[in-house]
Amino acid sequence: MKHGFYFLLGLVGALGLSWAGIVMGSNTQLASLPPYADDTDTSPPWFPGEAARGEYVYKDLGCSACHTQQVRRPDFGSDVARGWGDRQSVARDYIYQPFPQLGNNRVGPDLTNLAGRRPNPPDEEDLMKLLYEGHGGMPAYKFLFEQRKIIGQVSDHAIKPSGAAPIPAGYELVPSRRAQMLVAYLRNLNTTSDYPESRPIPAAGAESAGSATKAKPAPAKAASGAAPAPAKKATP
Amino acid sequence: MNAEVTAIDSLSRRPLLLLLASGLAWLLLGGLLALIAAAQLIQPAFLADCSFLTYGRTTALAETAFVYGWLANAGLALGLWILARLGGEALRAQNWIVVGTLFWNAGITIALIGLATGDVTGFSLLNLPGYVQPLLLVAYGAIAVSGILAWGGRRRSMMYASQWYAVAALILFPWFLSVAGVMLFWSPARGVVQAVVAGWYSQCVWTLWLAPAALAVAYYVVPKVTGRTLRSYSFAALGFWTLLFMGPWTGGRHLIGGPVPAWIPTIAVVTGALLFFHYIIVALNLRDTFAAPGVSLRFIAFGLAAYLLGGVTDALTSFHGLSMVTRFTYVENAEQQLALYGAISMIFFGGLYYAVPRITGRAWAFGGLITGHLGFSALGVVGLVLALAVAGLVQGGGLLSTEVSFAEIGELTQPWLVAVLFAQIILLFGNILLSVNFLATLALSQKAEVAQFRAPVAMEVSAS
Amino acid sequence: MSTEPPSDPRLDQAASSDDSLLSSHEKLLGRQPDEKAKYRLTPIALLFAFSGLILFAGTYLNRYAGHYDSLIYNENASPGGATAAPMAVDMVALGKKQFQSVCITCHQATGLGQAGIYPPLAGSEWVNGPEERIIRIVLDGLKGTVHVAGKEYGAAAMPVFGQVAGSGYNWSDEKIAAVLTYVRQEWGNKGAPVTTEAVTKIHQATGDHKEWSEAELAAIK
Repeated sequence: MKHGFYFLLGLVGALGLSWAGIVMGSNTQLASLPPYADDTDTSPPWFPGEAARGEYVYKDLGCSACHTQQVRRPDFGSDVARGWGDRQSVARDYIYQPFPQLGNNRVGPDLTNLAGRRPNPPDEEDLMKLLYEGHGGMPAYKFLFEQRKIIGQVSDHAIKPSGAAPIPAGYELVPSRRAQMLVAYLRNLNTTSDYPESRPIPAAGAESAGSATKAKPAPAKAASGAAPAPAKKATP
Repeated sequence: MNAEVTAIDSLSRRPLLLLLASGLAWLLLGGLLALIAAAQLIQPAFLADCSFLTYGRTTALAETAFVYGWLANAGLALGLWILARLGGEALRAQNWIVVGTLFWNAGITIALIGLATGDVTGFSLLNLPGYVQPLLLVAYGAIAVSGILAWGGRRRSMMYASQWYAVAALILFPWFLSVAGVMLFWSPARGVVQAVVAGWYSQCVWTLWLAPAALAVAYYVVPKVTGRTLRSYSFAALGFWTLLFMGPWTGGRHLIGGPVPAWIPTIAVVTGALLFFHYIIVALNLRDTFAAPGVSLRFIAFGLAAYLLGGVTDALTSFHGLSMVTRFTYVENAEQQLALYGAISMIFFGGLYYAVPRITGRAWAFGGLITGHLGFSALGVVGLVLALAVAGLVQGGGLLSTEVSFAEIGELTQPWLVAVLFAQIILLFGNILLSVNFLATLALSQKAEVAQFRAPVAMEVSAS
Repeated sequence: MSTEPPSDPRLDQAASSDDSLLSSHEKLLGRQPDEKAKYRLTPIALLFAFSGLILFAGTYLNRYAGHYDSLIYNENASPGGATAAPMAVDMVALGKKQFQSVCITCHQATGLGQAGIYPPLAGSEWVNGPEERIIRIVLDGLKGTVHVAGKEYGAAAMPVFGQVAGSGYNWSDEKIAAVLTYVRQEWGNKGAPVTTEAVTKIHQATGDHKEWSEAELAAIK
């Protein structure tokens, strides 16, 4: 290659073409996705205030290093079978999130539909205890909590951790604002609504017959998934 | 001063050594952070009470220090040096390089502090907080100016492969970083488009910046040491343009099965396969490396093998069947380490061992440390990649089944993660050897008793 | 080349100068004298390899790109089919979701309800009987005592689920048909699925009916 000009043109062209194709192509298609309205409500829902701030806490602690927030379709892995979601995640699920935390590694379970888990989604106390004590591969986030002297009454938000280190008498364990925001966010992670584009496409020839048999194994799995739930944090 | 070490090298000494020294410092820091992250995977309670070093932040810190600290500095140093030598003149605008390096390192320091205090971006290979990016862009531009001047002022108008690759790496990085900066930080795209942009960016980093930087080094050092022209060189341009035109389109490969329309991952799969053009041609061109002697070429041969293997595994794991098992597992970490450490970093080490004697005018201080570094690096990389891959396959198998709980997956992967920790220790130790050797080479003032630089002869034209 | 000393790792010797590197490669790219028309395998092999790759790429892209449609997420969507072709709703899955979101609180996950209060659905003759009754129950609600399998249940009223006046749920006809389809095949029940059309027909016929009683329902069919 002799001509510097054509060389530079080639460089810019290579970068520009891929940018136009992938980035602007997907931006054109997905940037103005409207929410989907069915007969009862519009989805996806907005996060209420605390929960919206909780997304910042989730991002800044780097939770997406171990948790994903995307469910794959039923024939692509066990995501749906494990009860992480009823259907695959689609682009519309993320339109109201300022920075979707899709995640890349599942050292821990997927969190897309944490608040919609059946039969028992985790409540605030479960999540606070999980954050304070850790579980399995998840570290304890003790720095999100504060142990302080009880002044007057015990605080509403105080946590009673089970396990090894009890709190000295006269002290209470209270979650910080960040912990509260994070837990509010987690309790709003919900994709129970359904979109037309997220429905599975049947394989050629097997339509309603396939769908009826698909439903059968699911209740059995849900039942076995429910069994360990009373013991600390459900694992799947 | 002889025919091999000329004024080009001696006059360009200061900024290049500054870049290399900073790179090595970041390499050590990155290695330490990677060690901490590996330990935290095995024992989550390790440093769990320190909010600056919670696992999510430690992985981000290690990656940024390694890629934007070590790989960037080394790539710039070697790229500038090669452009200066092939251009035929000492580096110009050297003060710009020095100032640029200082600002780049300051920027990375600010970025690391920012990550530790909570500005983790969540994007793979783009853990640079938004506020630091303009500083990094300006610093990079200042350093790159010298390279562009060296290329523009070249004595011969015909360009050699190393020059194509080095100029591509110099010019393209600021462009795609600024695009990603705008679309992800300053005026964020909506929803899932961010993931697409982040995927495009990370593949740009790999195919438009780091791979060209490494190939520039390989294409230069190999014929210089073997004394023969590269084989099948007439196809080299095809390999270059294929990498550039096909590479960034593979951005969707981490979105397979994800919440994006099907065409994005499909294009990534297809272009990943088309990149075989590039890998075949690179293998054809550089195949003499594998039989040639010399420590630089050993490093480069290792790096080349890793590069080719990485290309094949990247393409294979894009397909539906394998992706179902390997997605969201440590296998993706293994692929990244194979690419960043096994390929790019090892080629940079080879270039380093070749370049430093010429830049400083004297041989390396300790030969034993060099062979030690080679052994530890090779062992460490192989161990790291294999351990992560097996851990990932175990994890993937467990995830696919609905009966296996995460606690069980944790137990099954535990021994492999311990192996990862040991591999990181070995790699860090090897890099300490390199740094000691580097400092000794700079500090020792006596001339090496090793034979002087041999006067070079004309290059042989090899068959085919 | 064969008589050179073993290389010292501290200094890798360069065999050629930069200038000869550049000039010799430049010559390679220039016009080559025809080497007695010697046959070289490499270009032909590369041509075949590259053609194969391009063929693969084109075919794969054609089959799996889902028309480049923003609403197609499954790359297996057949290229000849309709553009955005999500398939029919899986009634059992939808019904199960509806059941588990609301009905489960009273009728329980086992479908056995609670003695004296919530009637069971498992093995119930109401569920397995004519669909006109159960459609009306879910659509408009049920008030008063009801007898299932000889036992009496009556402490609570069944809420109104359909899109009628006074409903707190406003479920579409499709959702009602789905939940009934689900209930009719769960826990050993062997009833036939309920279609959305059947629900719509009854909905239009009855309009805004208030809650049914057992006697009224027994009179139907």
